[in-house]
Amino acid sequence: MEATAKRKTKSNWSVFSVVNGLIFVIVCLIILVPLWKVLVDSLDLTTGYGMKLFPDKFGLAGYQTVLSNPTLLRPLMISVITTLSGTLLGLLLSTLGAYVLIQWEMPGRTFLANLLLVTMVFSGGMIPTYLVLRNLHMTNTLWSVILLPAINVYNLVLMRNFFEGIPNSLFESATLDGCTPMQTFYKIALPLSKAALASIGLMFAVSYWNDYTNYKLYINKEQLYNFQMKLRSMMQGSDLPMATAGATENTVRNAAIIVAILPFMILYPFLQKYFVKGINIGAVKE
Amino acid sequence: MVGSAKLASQEKKKNLGQRVKKYWGFYIMFLPVLAFVIVFHYLPMLGIRYAFTQYKLIKAPTFVGFAQFQKLFGMPNFWNAFKNTIELSVIKLLLTTFLSVVISLLLNEMISIKGKKLAQTIIYLPHFLSWVVTASVFQLILAPTSVGLVNTILIKLGVVNEGIYFLGKSEWWRFSYYLINIWHDTGWGTIIFMATLTGIDPGTYEAASIDGAGRWQKMWYITLPALANTIITVLILNLAKIMNLFESVFVLQNDAVMETSQVLQTYVYYQTFNSGAVPDYGYTTAIGLFRSVVGMALMLACNAASHKVRGRGIM
Repeated sequence: MEATAKRKTKSNWSVFSVVNGLIFVIVCLIILVPLWKVLVDSLDLTTGYGMKLFPDKFGLAGYQTVLSNPTLLRPLMISVITTLSGTLLGLLLSTLGAYVLIQWEMPGRTFLANLLLVTMVFSGGMIPTYLVLRNLHMTNTLWSVILLPAINVYNLVLMRNFFEGIPNSLFESATLDGCTPMQTFYKIALPLSKAALASIGLMFAVSYWNDYTNYKLYINKEQLYNFQMKLRSMMQGSDLPMATAGATENTVRNAAIIVAILPFMILYPFLQKYFVKGINIGAVKE
Repeated sequence: MVGSAKLASQEKKKNLGQRVKKYWGFYIMFLPVLAFVIVFHYLPMLGIRYAFTQYKLIKAPTFVGFAQFQKLFGMPNFWNAFKNTIELSVIKLLLTTFLSVVISLLLNEMISIKGKKLAQTIIYLPHFLSWVVTASVFQLILAPTSVGLVNTILIKLGVVNEGIYFLGKSEWWRFSYYLINIWHDTGWGTIIFMATLTGIDPGTYEAASIDGAGRWQKMWYITLPALANTIITVLILNLAKIMNLFESVFVLQNDAVMETSQVLQTYVYYQTFNSGAVPDYGYTTAIGLFRSVVGMALMLACNAASHKVRGRGIM
């Protein structure tokens, strides 16, 4: 009696797990098939019709076109430069702000914290921001797309939550040893926060690399487009570069999509834990 | 008594000066942050005054009182965009949250740790693809021609005779928009639920098993109630942001589906940068101000709700 009951639950288990496993195979396919289709078509020198597991006529001409054409290479370089500089600046501002906000005894701390928090609740909106940037002559320069996203109060608060977890005694003893606030900052706070720096840095990097809205609003010179802008105008068919070495238009479009996601796809498997960690730092406080 | 209080406050004042002095290094460190916040957040807030002017760039702004709002509230296009903003973001939020919960529950039941890790790695992925890339991928996948994967399959299966123009027909656009959003965000949404699920004491499940509870009973009576708080939190946090809807709509819309896809932010964009006429910055600032005020009201309401439900604010 007992044995059959046991067997019964066990077999239930496996039927359920098989079904569950199948569900996840389907879910993962739904996510991967569109990307696989783009990858296959980017390597196919014929126009990719329907679904093929592998290209009909394999060739790298699509990538050759993307990486050799100056009208595409330039946006790619702009994406790289703005991502690197923006991420560094974003990290600098987030860590400096976060470090000051954990000085609980500092007069005016609450005021400064509220000054930041208000911006999360209320904003001037799209047009006033555009007008400010224009009056500062930042529109149609890369300054607008580097400087504006660098101040991210949400990331700053995440960083603050992380700093809060560092034992206060470490800061105190550094101060007693004669460290200035700046020295304590980069000798104690930063080295102890490598994981948080990695995950918040990655969040900045992804948002700079993926930025489209800020470019669309503040930049209308084609020489200053980043890769997302270029990809978008290619997809809308307005300025597809001359396909070389037998690549079709479709090949070039698909290759451009792959180039836009490639840096991320290479890093993602290794850095996934940092990507995920970021969202959980916020929960530390609880 | 009074004397000692006075003395204490004097002491405090003297201390304040000393304390400020003690912290001067920190104030200097905060300066860059302060400068950025003032330039990129507070200066734009001052720009709200344009909502009460007519401002066509060639001329200095002229004060018109509430005329822009009168114009605004008389515009069917504006109300349509407002209605679309709410409908699109609320339905999107409910769909992705519901599916995130379902996927999390199923992930939680997976026995193979490796399989679970792999599935998580894959389902988080789309969240990191930009909306331009996502739109590009689906523009190709959903194309009505034979290049489009989905239509090819549908035609082969005999479901339809002719390719459906998913993103170019207003009766299909929203359906496609929700599907693409589900593809993009559901996986990422599971993270917060998975964090809650790993926090459930395994002892609870064991005790339930001993009492004869099956898998579904455990899910219904233990797992779901444990998730309830997190679900409410996620809904509140995201409800506060629904007026921000812009990029995902902007990259997927086109002239053929404007009526059903136009949201407030895209309306502001087109009225300012793409209307063909000299833009009236006063008018579009007024729309933005309306959006910000509704957004703030939602945020404060959600904050109050959050205090009630989980004992702390949303920030």
